[in-house]
Amino acid sequence: MQIQLSHLVPLPLRDKLLQRASDIWNKDVTFSPGSFVKIKAPSGTGKTTLVHYLYHIRYDYAGKVMVNGKPWQDYNKSALAAIRQQQVSIIFQDLRLFDQLTAWENIELKRVMGPAPACTAEQVQEMAARLQVTHVLQQSARTLSYGERQRIAIIRALVQPFKWLLMDEPFSHLDEENTRRAAALIAETCKTQQAGFVLTDLDDDVHFNYDVQYQL
Amino acid sequence: MHPFFQLLKKIIQTGIGKSRLLMATAGLGIAMVLLLIAIQAHTNFYQLLYGRQNQNESADFLVVNKKITNAMMGQSDKSMFTAEELQTIKQQSFVEAAGYITSSQFKVTAAAPGELQFYTDMFFESVPDSFIDVKNEEWKWQEGDGVIPIILPNDFLNLYNFGFALSQDLPQVSQETVKNLPVKITVSRGLLSSQFTGHIVGFSDRISSFLVPAAFMDWANNRYGNGKAAAPSRIVIKTSDPANPTLVKFLDDHGYTTNQDKIKYSKTKLIVQTIVSVIGFFGIVLLLFALLVFSMFIQLIIASCKKEIQLLVMLGTAPAQLRRYLLRQFVPLYVVTGIVAVLLVAVLQWVAARALAAHEMVVSPWPGIGMWIAAAVVLLLVYFVNNRTIRKYLD
Repeated sequence: MQIQLSHLVPLPLRDKLLQRASDIWNKDVTFSPGSFVKIKAPSGTGKTTLVHYLYHIRYDYAGKVMVNGKPWQDYNKSALAAIRQQQVSIIFQDLRLFDQLTAWENIELKRVMGPAPACTAEQVQEMAARLQVTHVLQQSARTLSYGERQRIAIIRALVQPFKWLLMDEPFSHLDEENTRRAAALIAETCKTQQAGFVLTDLDDDVHFNYDVQYQL
Repeated sequence: MHPFFQLLKKIIQTGIGKSRLLMATAGLGIAMVLLLIAIQAHTNFYQLLYGRQNQNESADFLVVNKKITNAMMGQSDKSMFTAEELQTIKQQSFVEAAGYITSSQFKVTAAAPGELQFYTDMFFESVPDSFIDVKNEEWKWQEGDGVIPIILPNDFLNLYNFGFALSQDLPQVSQETVKNLPVKITVSRGLLSSQFTGHIVGFSDRISSFLVPAAFMDWANNRYGNGKAAAPSRIVIKTSDPANPTLVKFLDDHGYTTNQDKIKYSKTKLIVQTIVSVIGFFGIVLLLFALLVFSMFIQLIIASCKKEIQLLVMLGTAPAQLRRYLLRQFVPLYVVTGIVAVLLVAVLQWVAARALAAHEMVVSPWPGIGMWIAAAVVLLLVYFVNNRTIRKYLD
């Protein structure tokens, strides 16, 4: 699955962004399948906006986001849902867990939503154990610390089949040790699923062996 | 249940406004019961009216004439039907066929043979042959035939046997005997006269008159009549439903009158129809309100879970999944409501059939096909409306 950006510019930030150099905005960019992509972006340059464009939950842009050669707008709601269930997964910056569900249920929701889960319940347990959140799985998401919620959101994104994983500052609230473990889990799962990812962050990092790095 | 739906259940709280849902369900139930009762009552009434007594006959015959009022006495032309009037009658939807009853314009005398010493002035009438219910090969006449087939009213024989014969010390006669009696018929006008042998070929309940074949009537009227075209004063109507209120109203409006016995059901029918319609009307109104409350309830659920639904869609939940989940919350509810309503009406029908059987009125102990269809239609309608509401507010 190929993602192409063609002269993508967010309308609200247009004037500001066109004044400075960017590897992404208003350029032709292709993310080839299976590659690990890092996008480094200072605050206020539209990092989250880009992720939302890639995931097609914001539409206020000029240019195009092409998925498998077709702009997002050409996909109807069911096709979009199918893509989100089987091809594109996401870790939101603001996590977006359901407070009324337990941590476990939040993960399950994504695992059983599609026609075929990418992993078994036992594998979810293993992931939780690796990220050291087994003890909070049965707690309501509301009662978790931000760091715990972030790890649950990471697991949630990994339990579905995907070809692309979008990550928006996925380790912002994790200490170094936990970041290392989470990154290892993500890299491993991407390899297993033969998937690529797009990660946005404020600074340079060495969590992954990136194939490409962009400056937003 | 699918594990995904179990999780949805925790996210999309349908418990909100439970009293509203209960009200809507109760409304739907009552509406269905009313509607089904109305339809079933209609079915039953039809069964009572047309079930057994009319099993062999698909049509009934009415003899219609104008009311003779004091003001009309002596002016026989006022009781005549014109061709236009017959045409108007024929055009009514409830009339399958209509024809003149032609009366004789000549003098007729009948004399019984042998010792019966019976001699009387009488008259003949004729109707189109298709209205004759005594189907008989002898029912034909052509010029030169000396024998005229005649149909007598059943009432006439009864009057003779039980009224006249007893009081005059005359023998009572059976239908068979009468059929074998050759009656001497004299048709005359002034000095012209012809002799015929009358042969009784049958007895009729439909038309209280002395009937001869139309062919004979035409010939005799032509020959012995006064030369004027016969303006008939009675019309025979073939109708599938003599209790049809429209027919009765038509007759009343035009000042016509007919055998009241045959149309006595029409009043009852009108009353029953009105009651049934009113019940049905309330059923429909209630159904509409129930649908409205259902729709508002769905709207409320979707509105109160707007954020959750948005996040679900964002995470990849298909609109079809959400629709299916929401419908699952309601469909069992109204299927159960429908079953309860149908069962209730079935029990009522059974009780009614038993109660009516005690009065020797037979209706089926099972609800009619109309009720089943109506129940299915209502359930489909509710499903359709809810599905539409969900679609509309999810998007």
